[in-house]
Amino acid sequence: MKKKTRRQFIFETGLYAGALALQPVIGRAQDVQAPLDMVVCKWKGDPIPEEPTREIADKLTKKAIEAIGGLERFVKKGDVVWIKPNIAWDRTPEQAANTNPDLLRTLIELCFNAGAKTVKVGDNPCHDSKKTYITSGIGAVVKEAGAELVYVDRSRFKETEINGERLKKIPLYPEMIESDIILNVPIAKHHGEATVTLGMKNYMGVVENRRMFHQDLPTCIKDITAYMKPKITILDAIRVLTANGPTGGDLKDVKRLNIVAASVDIVALDTFGCEILNYDPNKIGTVKKGFEAGLGQMDYKNKLKYQEILV
Amino acid sequence: MKFKKPRSLMQWIRRLSQIIFFVLFICLAWELHFLEEGESPESYKIFFHLDPLIFLLTFLSTWTIAGLSFLCLITVVATLLLGRVFCGWFCPFGAYHTFFSWLARKRNRKKESQSRTPAHRVKYFILFAMLGMSLFGGHWFGIFDPFSFFYRALSTSVFPAFHIAIEDTSNAIYNEDPKIFGFHLTSITEPIYQQFRTHISKISQKTFYTEGTIIAFTLILITGLNFVRPRFWCRYICPLGGFLGILSLKPILRLSNDENTCTNCRLCSKACPAGAQPEQRGNWLPTECFVCWDCIATCKSNSLSFQFQLPGKTKIKTGKIDYPRRTVLTAMATGIVGLLGFRVVPQAKQGQPFPDTLIRPPGSRVEREFLQHCIQCGACMRACPTNAIQPAGIEAGWEALWTPKLVPKIGYCLYSCNICGQVCPTQAIQPLSLEEKQKTKIGLATFDKSRCIPYSYGRECAVCEEHCPLSPKAIHLVEREVILRDGKITKIRQPEVDPNLCIGCGICEWSCVFQDRAAIRVTPANESRNSKNQPILTFEQDYYPTDSSNSSGSPYSF
Repeated sequence: MKKKTRRQFIFETGLYAGALALQPVIGRAQDVQAPLDMVVCKWKGDPIPEEPTREIADKLTKKAIEAIGGLERFVKKGDVVWIKPNIAWDRTPEQAANTNPDLLRTLIELCFNAGAKTVKVGDNPCHDSKKTYITSGIGAVVKEAGAELVYVDRSRFKETEINGERLKKIPLYPEMIESDIILNVPIAKHHGEATVTLGMKNYMGVVENRRMFHQDLPTCIKDITAYMKPKITILDAIRVLTANGPTGGDLKDVKRLNIVAASVDIVALDTFGCEILNYDPNKIGTVKKGFEAGLGQMDYKNKLKYQEILV
Repeated sequence: MKFKKPRSLMQWIRRLSQIIFFVLFICLAWELHFLEEGESPESYKIFFHLDPLIFLLTFLSTWTIAGLSFLCLITVVATLLLGRVFCGWFCPFGAYHTFFSWLARKRNRKKESQSRTPAHRVKYFILFAMLGMSLFGGHWFGIFDPFSFFYRALSTSVFPAFHIAIEDTSNAIYNEDPKIFGFHLTSITEPIYQQFRTHISKISQKTFYTEGTIIAFTLILITGLNFVRPRFWCRYICPLGGFLGILSLKPILRLSNDENTCTNCRLCSKACPAGAQPEQRGNWLPTECFVCWDCIATCKSNSLSFQFQLPGKTKIKTGKIDYPRRTVLTAMATGIVGLLGFRVVPQAKQGQPFPDTLIRPPGSRVEREFLQHCIQCGACMRACPTNAIQPAGIEAGWEALWTPKLVPKIGYCLYSCNICGQVCPTQAIQPLSLEEKQKTKIGLATFDKSRCIPYSYGRECAVCEEHCPLSPKAIHLVEREVILRDGKITKIRQPEVDPNLCIGCGICEWSCVFQDRAAIRVTPANESRNSKNQPILTFEQDYYPTDSSNSSGSPYSF
């Protein structure tokens, strides 16, 4: 463990003391607002349009974030926020291989409203990042919303000790790790080897040399997730890819569910993701591993403050 | 103070024109790497379209005309009227040599004035050898064409070297983080580098080219020769210069040398970068002259000037071209013999898929036709977003030297990209629509089951399956029982390739965990362009009979 400087120590001690002193106040505030641990927003608009529109993505995201306590709960004033969507493949938004760009636009706005100083959006794509960012529609949206689009620089990854079960030392991207908060924004997709790719699997995009992880995908993903300590995960299930994932490509495999879910518990969110993709979460290696390692709950309906909202 | 003579004004206009076209050439080459949607690739080929020799030789060897290549008529007409203004005013490679000749001016000034030498014939020799070759359906013109030469050198060596220099320097500073009086150097270098990465560099990764070093060497050699003679390449080697020289035998614009004022000081002869003999009255060589105005600018007695003379009323006599007809025949014969030399190797056997690493970009013509079109310019190599297209060495035969091939170990063919065919100036790689390209097979992936992890090591791994861009995927997983070392039986999902679907894009080989030799490799087998290299018969779905009573019918229902 890194040694604390004196200044840091005093600062943190003060912080905890302050928190203790204010505990009754905060506790009461929690009682009043009672932000949820997990929320699922589903579009019930009538009639539901053939293709999910910008309005649907926008409203679902806003409602989900509002119900979980607003981004102010996670993003402090002056924070550097890194939004980590899934932008792995050179595919269009309709093909549902990358996170919905409209959802990201709203999320960036919310970050700025919550007082974020800088919002960075970036992934370590499998395909060439310049092309992927354009085809996915995310590059344009990020620039439009005033956030910073980061082309991850493969020569800047730094070997970092994470001391996991399988992974001891992996190359992580310093700029991402050093940001104040990472918003994990995965898309729900089918995945050939892991069956599904959701929140935990999305953390594969923060590392390099990830090819050999596939020899024990669940444990490796659990290790990275445990290191990343997710504070909030927002699942894009507006369009989901039900087969031939993670790349997809055939529009026949895309289902339009019009769902956005948000949770402070990544395992719970992934369990929900499995259910909407019609898989038994008990058979999904990553979810089971995550639960066993104590990263979260699988029984989200009973153990978490959970709510389904129709928008 | 002495004012410059107004005659040197033309010299400066020429320099400006050279700089403009040089910068334009470099920018177009640099910008080619990544085209935004809706951006037309035609403007990037403009220099190649203006090259009449590319037009002529690909026409002679294939009897086809590609794209807008008839634009070269502009060059032809300009040369017929004004002489080799193309070389002096327009050609970016000429501008490059002009610059290095200027650097070498001190060294060259000591030398005696230069008249024409037999070495001037070399360019005509190369020209006619190429013509002879192309009449018999082949050419090696791309090696000598100035645009191809320069473009190839830029895209496969100069630009990558530039990128490496910038990235490695800033990485070194970033990692070391040196401080000067407590001031971090990175606070200057990092913003600059980030700007470079996001705005100037068209590539997110460094690029590497297999023959890059040799191509760089050719450029360095040609550059260095400017120190032997000014514009060495232009006056002795460039076959395009030779072709334009022949066209400018009787130009309208002629150099006049006033015998009343000329003092025979021979300064003009020393200034001439072409050896065009401006000092020899009546023996000025329009076939060599670049119309660069250097001689006029040096002349102290104002004896020299360019004058328009209508055909038939010419008073100014010119020197004749030093290339007898008999030598033309010798050169053409040499070219034909050279072509035969190219054709004695197994690679030249039609339809022969040799070597097994020769994967051509999607849309490439049949090998023979491909070589007749390709001018080895390297535009596809520059444009390829994944660095997959590499210059071939001599493994594909000397005839195919520096032609494009795909090396999946370095990069893969991106499923949603068809840029190589779009940018090819001669349509050696045909422009395919994205739908066509996604159905074009360039090869077939095959597993090396002795290396593949689920086959030999009893562990899961499906990186190739994950990356396969087709839908349904050409690589699919089959669950099989595997006996482990301790005798335990476990179920492992093993990947298989469906030959009906696989298009040979190579992303599986690129993404394989084995970095040295991938456990799944792509060979050109099944490539659409070569019917002789399709070993696998395509079957309908009902080839595999599930019920034995149904097996009476012929399985070969295709």
